Amino acid sequence: MRKLALATIALSLLAAPSLAGPKEDAIAARQGHYKLLGANMGALSAMAKGQIDYDAKTAQMHADNLATLSKNNIGFLFLEGTSSSDMPGVTRASAKIWEDFPGVGAAGAKFAEAAMTIQAEAGKGAAELGKALGMVGMSCKGCHDSYRTK
Amino acid sequence: MTDRSPISQDPEEDKTLEHVRLWDPALRAFHWLLFLCVVAAWGLGEFGPDIMTLHFYFGYAICALLVFRLVWGLVGPKAARFIHFIYGPKTTLGYAAKMFRREPSYWRGHNPVGALAAFALLGLLIAQVATGLTADPDDFVNVGPLASYVGYDNSVMANRIHAIVAKLILLMVVIHIAAIAFYKVWKRENLITPMITGWKWVKKSDKA
Repeated sequence: MRKLALATIALSLLAAPSLAGPKEDAIAARQGHYKLLGANMGALSAMAKGQIDYDAKTAQMHADNLATLSKNNIGFLFLEGTSSSDMPGVTRASAKIWEDFPGVGAAGAKFAEAAMTIQAEAGKGAAELGKALGMVGMSCKGCHDSYRTK
Repeated sequence: MTDRSPISQDPEEDKTLEHVRLWDPALRAFHWLLFLCVVAAWGLGEFGPDIMTLHFYFGYAICALLVFRLVWGLVGPKAARFIHFIYGPKTTLGYAAKMFRREPSYWRGHNPVGALAAFALLGLLIAQVATGLTADPDDFVNVGPLASYVGYDNSVMANRIHAIVAKLILLMVVIHIAAIAFYKVWKRENLITPMITGWKWVKKSDKA
């Protein structure tokens, strides 16, 4: 019995550092949001580059997903103490985010606007998709340059 | 050897010197094209438009120029050949010790200290081309053409290194220009004109 108890304690001590707390959960949720954006963007960009054939229906589906995701407010996930300075190696969210919420909001609005554009354009043809995709990509870059560590 | 005598106003009166066509035309064209492309690529990278097509083109041009330089470093004229400006520590330290004398170096080619800078700059530029070609900034627009071949994690790393090396290149360019100014003002040796015309006053005693 005592051996079992000791073994349990020893095991839990080993496992403790890998146990996710609320901060880790928030970061994982944030990253999930961006992974979904990336998955849809990746599919659209392969189409725009001609790596896969353009298909209006599929393009529209991905563009609709982007538009839906652009309405997903993930602000509540940016908990205090979850920047790349607080948790290096876990997240690349720059501490600048917490110093400049209006700026982050403006960057988000730029993405939302681009998402509306691509939703309207993606089904019209490969050229239209490419143009709108450039706009979305620029909104990605704008935010990465300012609020994500390299 | 009269190189320790007071500065002669006119190198033509100095019998130990000769006027030679040191830098060949291809090397000079390389130098100034590289200068233009590096300035353009750096400026576009830092301040350019979000769709970085032009930055990419200047990067490709730099890649081509570097390929030329590597070939020229093996088969080019003497002053351009790497073997000609790889110096041992003794020569390098000896040159560095005399470097601050107020007299022209009349060196035939890259001097031992300048050679270190040249190799450093070449190495940084090669690293910059390699990381640029493989970088993925996650914007689906400005993705390096070879990013998909190295895996996502390496592309992210390449992007990171690309940003750091950009700063190191800027530093090397500043050091390079400061050194040219130092030679011009302090040592009274013009190194700019030889890189334009090819002609330079050099010591006869130096074996080419």
